[in-house]
Amino acid sequence: MPLALLPAALILGLLLLAPMAGLLVQSFRHFTPGHVGSDVGAPLTLANYRELLNPAIVGLFVETFRISAIATLIGLVVSYPLARCIVRRFSAASRVACIGFLVALILLSMLVRTYAIELAFGSVGMLRPLLRAFGASPNSGWYIQCLVGAGLLHYLIPLSTLMLLGTVQSVDPRLADAAQSLGAPAWRAHLSTTLPLSRPGLIGTFMVGFTFSISAFVIPMVLGNGRILFISNTIYDRFSDIADYPSGAAISVVMLVVSLTAVGILSWLAGRPAVPE
Amino acid sequence: MANSLAFRAVTKRFGSVVAVNNVSFDIASGETVALLGPSGCGKTTILRVIAGFETPDAGSLQIGGVEMAGRRPYERNVGLLFQHYALFPHMTVAQNVGYGLRYRGLPRSEIGPRVSEMLELVKLPGHGGRYPNQLSGGQQQRIALARALATQPSILLLDEPLSALDVKLRQELRAELKDVLATVGSTAIVVTHDHEEAMSLGHRVFVMNQGRIAQSGTPDDIYVRPTSRFVADFMGHANWFTGRRTGPSEYATDCGRILNVVPCTQPSAEQCDLCLRPESIDLLPATIEAGPNRLFGHVADVILTGASRQLIVTLEDGRSILVLQQNRTQLPWTPGQGVVLGFPPEACVLVPRDSS
Amino acid sequence: MTAAARGRVGDDIARTGVAAVLIVAAIFLLVPLLVTILMAFDSRSYLGPLPPPGFSLRWFVACFSRQTLAVGLRTSLALGILATAISTSAGTAAAIALERGTFPGRTILSALFLSPLIVPPVVIGFALLLALSQAGILNGFVRLLCGHVVITLPYTIRAVSASLAGRDASLTEAALGLGASERQALWTITVPLARTGIMIGAIFAFAVSFDDVSVASFLTDPTTYTLPVALLSAMRANFDLTIAAAAVLLMVATVILIFILDRAVGFDRLVGQGMFRT
Repeated sequence: MPLALLPAALILGLLLLAPMAGLLVQSFRHFTPGHVGSDVGAPLTLANYRELLNPAIVGLFVETFRISAIATLIGLVVSYPLARCIVRRFSAASRVACIGFLVALILLSMLVRTYAIELAFGSVGMLRPLLRAFGASPNSGWYIQCLVGAGLLHYLIPLSTLMLLGTVQSVDPRLADAAQSLGAPAWRAHLSTTLPLSRPGLIGTFMVGFTFSISAFVIPMVLGNGRILFISNTIYDRFSDIADYPSGAAISVVMLVVSLTAVGILSWLAGRPAVPE
Repeated sequence: MANSLAFRAVTKRFGSVVAVNNVSFDIASGETVALLGPSGCGKTTILRVIAGFETPDAGSLQIGGVEMAGRRPYERNVGLLFQHYALFPHMTVAQNVGYGLRYRGLPRSEIGPRVSEMLELVKLPGHGGRYPNQLSGGQQQRIALARALATQPSILLLDEPLSALDVKLRQELRAELKDVLATVGSTAIVVTHDHEEAMSLGHRVFVMNQGRIAQSGTPDDIYVRPTSRFVADFMGHANWFTGRRTGPSEYATDCGRILNVVPCTQPSAEQCDLCLRPESIDLLPATIEAGPNRLFGHVADVILTGASRQLIVTLEDGRSILVLQQNRTQLPWTPGQGVVLGFPPEACVLVPRDSS
Repeated sequence: MTAAARGRVGDDIARTGVAAVLIVAAIFLLVPLLVTILMAFDSRSYLGPLPPPGFSLRWFVACFSRQTLAVGLRTSLALGILATAISTSAGTAAAIALERGTFPGRTILSALFLSPLIVPPVVIGFALLLALSQAGILNGFVRLLCGHVVITLPYTIRAVSASLAGRDASLTEAALGLGASERQALWTITVPLARTGIMIGAIFAFAVSFDDVSVASFLTDPTTYTLPVALLSAMRANFDLTIAAAAVLLMVATVILIFILDRAVGFDRLVGQGMFRT
């Protein structure tokens, strides 16, 4: 193995793989309440994992995945036409401006974005009078869920759009033209040609957006107002509030396994070519 | 009448560039016309205007007497054959060919038979289950043609149909394309930059330059009687002389020669250019006596290209003339040898001098 | 209605629908930022509803005089620069080795190097905390550095790989054929070729490090904390407009960063270079 790989390999091994292994071990250790973490030499147990089967934790996973999936899908629905517009419709100047704006949004601090959304749409925000008019409250459960989703979307839309630019460029625009010349209205032409051929790119983008969303920490923490907890927040709580490291480790391991499975499935789906070989 | 096309004073701009500049022409039902010109001359833009992908800034377009303004591409019955075929890669050949039939209101049960009919027409029966990437270039072109013709379009537009093929295949498909077009009887417009393609496919040829039609006529007309230097150069190699007409059948070149030409009324100006096609020049031994339309020089280079050969002859004043001969007999000329170029008056084509 | 007419109507509906969606999206993306900018200049001493009755710079003053924010900023900058330097060097070397190498297991190794992108940052932070504590490394800055090097490494590797992809092999062969040694080819062909990738990777690495909250939350201690962590606790303690002022300053910094990015690299390159590949 070339020497040049060594630094990166060391970083990976010492700072990622070894700690992960340690985390796995920790998840099997017994936790005595009141102590910080597991004691040295604590016995191995499956209790931490059994605890995860209780409906509260399962519900947590479900909610995290549900909100993430919906947000990622909405992100795709918005980003795909936007990416198409940028690639096909915009003039060179508009294109640069738009891409610049999207890259700026991506590089902008997550905290700033989350704060801005809370300020604008949160409980003291602009939409309060509007919601009151409909008899709803910015503190209600469903609104908070939407708020968290909005926080996710503020990152998902720029990210998905930038990723889909490549996908849109790779599909020959003549195909939709051909379909139109054969009699298909523009929307059907795109449904028959552009969309199926974009499938691998769309699935790949969904995968990236989805993994980002389920791992979200700041967004649910700030916008969730304590009512919405994502998996990351629960892990943090185990760590900081009750110092139950083994339990936190167990949740982390499960989350990792589920994430990797999702990535695996989506990669396999994305790998199936749009065009038969 | 049903498939005729009337193009009236159409102008199309892209930013500050005028791609199509006040162009008008008529095409009769069943005719095949070639739009010939260099890249950027506006021929592809005209194609896209007819198909409905570009809206003209001025002028009108009528197909079969019906005004096309405001009609979207799928509302016109125009068939398109794209330069790189634009076959749907994720659909089978049968699905490709049958695609338009769904939207033209053909009942499901009739689509299959019509697809088979079209595949027979392009001599690829039974290929319905294949995918485009399993076909060769020539086969893809035929499928693209079948797809465009399946909906029985009034006008068939072909964008550089043969340019993506290699030479041998090109000749084969050219003949087949002509056959198919004749069988189906559609009106067809072929866009190309290759004058051979234009002349062999079109009943008429429109030569375009910078958004305008420079000359239109039958292939023979355009080749034998070009009306400008641009057209003459575009249709093939031309040896040029500058000078002026000094009599009804006399032309004095700037380099001091007098050539006999056929009496004609065009061009009207006295100052005009003279074009000599390489294939109309004979090579005579240097010992032959001097006479009208005989130029002395020596052979500079001989290039064999298979069925024909090219000779570059340098005249006394240093000018180079290209001569084209068939490669039938043993070549009696060697480089450096003296030779006389002879040509009949009919070989001299007079063309107005470019004012630019 | 004929099929064509129905198609036309469908087209018009689709077109307006898409336009509507895009306009709503644009508004959605812009409004929170504009509100924040507006409110940062609010003259009231409390967080009231829009619009602000008057304008003042009080919140910016408050922001600058907040000790925690100043300390956090210093730490974040130092951390960012150091982490970027380390991961850019290690990442560039690794990317070049992966691109040119022919040893077995290249694809697996490639995937492994990019794996921190898939692992939730909270898990990375947590695992690191446990491991570093066990190893006896208690210095806050060193811990943070470890965490940030891990999460920034994939960005540098991916950016450099993207800029080398495909072209390096044939260009290196051409150089070797002309008489350059492997080493000379590396420094005169490969590294300059990777230059844009290195730059993009470094900028993204810095942005990721500067912005990180999840990993830092596990690895900070009371004396060493990053700016985002300081902002987050400020937000949770007292949701006021000091943070809006800080937010505006960060937005300005990002805009400057964008200009640098455009000047140094150009956006077409950025997107086309595969930084945003799936």
